[in-house]
Amino acid sequence: MAKSLLVISRQAPWSGPSAREALDIVLAGGAFDLPIGLLLLDDGVFQLAPHQDAKAVQQKDLSANLQALGLFGIDDVFACSHSLAARGLVHSTLAQPLDSAAITQLIDRYDQVITL
Amino acid sequence: MSTLHVISHSPFTDSRLESCLRICGSEDAILLCGDGAYGLHAPALLTRGVKVFVLAEDMLARNLPLPDWADSVDYPGFVQLSIDYDKVNSWL
Repeated sequence: MAKSLLVISRQAPWSGPSAREALDIVLAGGAFDLPIGLLLLDDGVFQLAPHQDAKAVQQKDLSANLQALGLFGIDDVFACSHSLAARGLVHSTLAQPLDSAAITQLIDRYDQVITL
Repeated sequence: MSTLHVISHSPFTDSRLESCLRICGSEDAILLCGDGAYGLHAPALLTRGVKVFVLAEDMLARNLPLPDWADSVDYPGFVQLSIDYDKVNSWL
């Protein structure tokens, strides 16, 4: 049995390659049927903001990758409800909101954690 | 399950330590290294009551006093901690 991995993504989509690379890890893991989950924390929750326009800054759209998670069989996608509320974001259908206690339990459930 | 959280950024310019403290479990510990060692001056660490380690050389380089609520470790101690805890979460 492969070890399970939780990727915690805590950077906004426009602050460098970190958000994209975290998503790439998750998508690659999903393609190989590895037990993998994604948690959006801190500025990472900005990845869920609607109607972002990547073309305005000559970049590729990250939200398409986020929506592809389901196609890759990755259902464990979570967002920190504290981070969402602090940034005035409403809950997205793409990620299940979790409070701090639930995040502690989530991390416990996985064998390994990567925070980017 | 216990997690060793490794923090290498100063809590005074960055939210890593604050977020870590929010989701830290009762069995977890925090290891401060690099500018993360400035966390020894962060009141939140003292009041949270979580186990705290600091990398000795980073503490000495910054002339930070070791409070009674924290323990210092050298690099072999760092390795031992990463073995003792079920997993390591490096807040990169």
